[in-house]
Amino acid sequence: MTTWPSPSGIVVSARGLTKHYGDRAALNRIDLDLGRGVTGLLGRNGAGKTTLLRCLATAHDPDSGSLEVLGHDPTTAPGRARVRAQLGFLPQNPVFYPNFTAFTLLDYIAILKEVGGRRARHDEVRRVLDQVGLTDRRHTRVRRLSGGMRQRLGLAGALLGEPGLLLLDEPTIGLDPEQRIRFRDLVSEFAATRAVVLSTHQTEDVAAVCDRVVVLDEGLVVFADTPAALTDRARGRVWSLPERPSTGSTSWRSPDGRYRVLTPHGAEPPAGYGGIAEPLEPTLEDGYLLVTGSAEGTVAA
Amino acid sequence: MTAWHLTRQQLDDYADGRLDHAMAMSAEAHILDCPRCRAGVPADPAWIRAGWAELRDVVDRPRASLLERLLTRIGVHEAAARLLVATPMLYRAWLLAMVVVLGMALATAYNVNGGTLMFFSLAPVLPLVGVALAYGRWVDPAHEFTSVTPMAGQRLLFLRSLAVLVPAFALCLVTALLLPGHGPGWAPVAWLLPALSLVTGSLLLSRWVPLIMATGLTGTVWTGALVSTVLHHESRFAAAYLFTPPAQALYAVLLAALGTACIAARARRA
Repeated sequence: MTTWPSPSGIVVSARGLTKHYGDRAALNRIDLDLGRGVTGLLGRNGAGKTTLLRCLATAHDPDSGSLEVLGHDPTTAPGRARVRAQLGFLPQNPVFYPNFTAFTLLDYIAILKEVGGRRARHDEVRRVLDQVGLTDRRHTRVRRLSGGMRQRLGLAGALLGEPGLLLLDEPTIGLDPEQRIRFRDLVSEFAATRAVVLSTHQTEDVAAVCDRVVVLDEGLVVFADTPAALTDRARGRVWSLPERPSTGSTSWRSPDGRYRVLTPHGAEPPAGYGGIAEPLEPTLEDGYLLVTGSAEGTVAA
Repeated sequence: MTAWHLTRQQLDDYADGRLDHAMAMSAEAHILDCPRCRAGVPADPAWIRAGWAELRDVVDRPRASLLERLLTRIGVHEAAARLLVATPMLYRAWLLAMVVVLGMALATAYNVNGGTLMFFSLAPVLPLVGVALAYGRWVDPAHEFTSVTPMAGQRLLFLRSLAVLVPAFALCLVTALLLPGHGPGWAPVAWLLPALSLVTGSLLLSRWVPLIMATGLTGTVWTGALVSTVLHHESRFAAAYLFTPPAQALYAVLLAALGTACIAARARRA
């Protein structure tokens, strides 16, 4: 596990970062330091994950606050150029040119990323195709690729040019379990020497690959530490009950017929169940629900 | 395995191509069969690896189109040629629409009195539509991807505009040459200066507003000029005034001014 915030290898540093869409603050005075390794961004839809990634990716300028990415200020023209030269970005639901083949598309992106001369560029395209397991499909047109393949093609595009910082917005959408494992492997390997920031709804992804997790809620950082620390937030607050409690907790029915209950306001069993509630080992998801304040009413499952 | 081996001298002569045909062939037959002599032939592994990689690339890479090869032949950088040739693939629908519109303009020119004016009124804005589609969040499906690459911004916009303008101008010119012939000899290119002025104006404006808005503005200026001329002279044939020599001189001055402003803006930013 990398040390974080890392004193030497800070890759992203934000102070008071703010971005508004109309009246709504998508990012509200965020302070954040991200180092090498994999950082997972968790949060509800509209929590600010995508906005944060876009600011880091130089796609958006923040309204106020300071931002440093890979040692450069992406809000200035020279800084932006330097950041872009070392950046891999996979947007949410990436869309490509349907008539291009996988190879020509990546070649096109590699040109835009100014990767080497023709030979070096083609070798780089082959390298990333191999990394995402699309070598066999390199001459298939994008429109004939499945959703999962397109997602992997997008990842390949982000990996082109060996970027120092990889930004992935919901990268595991559309991947089957096998591909998801392969993806985790790829990201972990990449992050051994560089930095990855990925946003996700999947707490399993975070538990599996992330060294650090940042939870955003309504434009604020509500948690930033290790996944284990997030899980620990729920320690002593997860219970198994034979029936759904009436108030003050989040619960859902488990396959064994019992109810998994989160008690947000204290490490006591739900009122009235003192004798029959059995404590359960918390998961990352439990911790996430607690820090985002989602652990209130009943979550259907 | 054979008992005899090539001498050092023979191996060097073979490697350097100094043996005559008969000797070279028998040396080669032996080398293919004898690992010891094969190991003795001087070889550069890095060179061989590079050769294989090059060969693999030649076999595996997508075939460059005729146009792409032509562009590289006349000195366009290979990567720029790839971009220029790949770009119109993104705008097939626009190219197709352009062919249809020009075909209709041609039909009008032959069947309606004064119908050539329809072509001349349209020709300056058709390439502009292509430029509007060339770059930006609203028109490029992969904009999220392309807009954060080092090449994004004015450079990509310029390259893509160029890639769109070349087929657009070619199509307009071909149509103009097919028009029923009246007017002066330069009539087939009477649309060119206004078209170039509109495009240059849009590219200049795109430094401050999104490209699609910039092209919208200049397109509106052209339409406004057209409508006000027709209304002022109370004749639909009055559009011809926009293509007279004095008007052309005005476009030339405008184009020079806009072009200078473009270059100055570019130099200031760089």
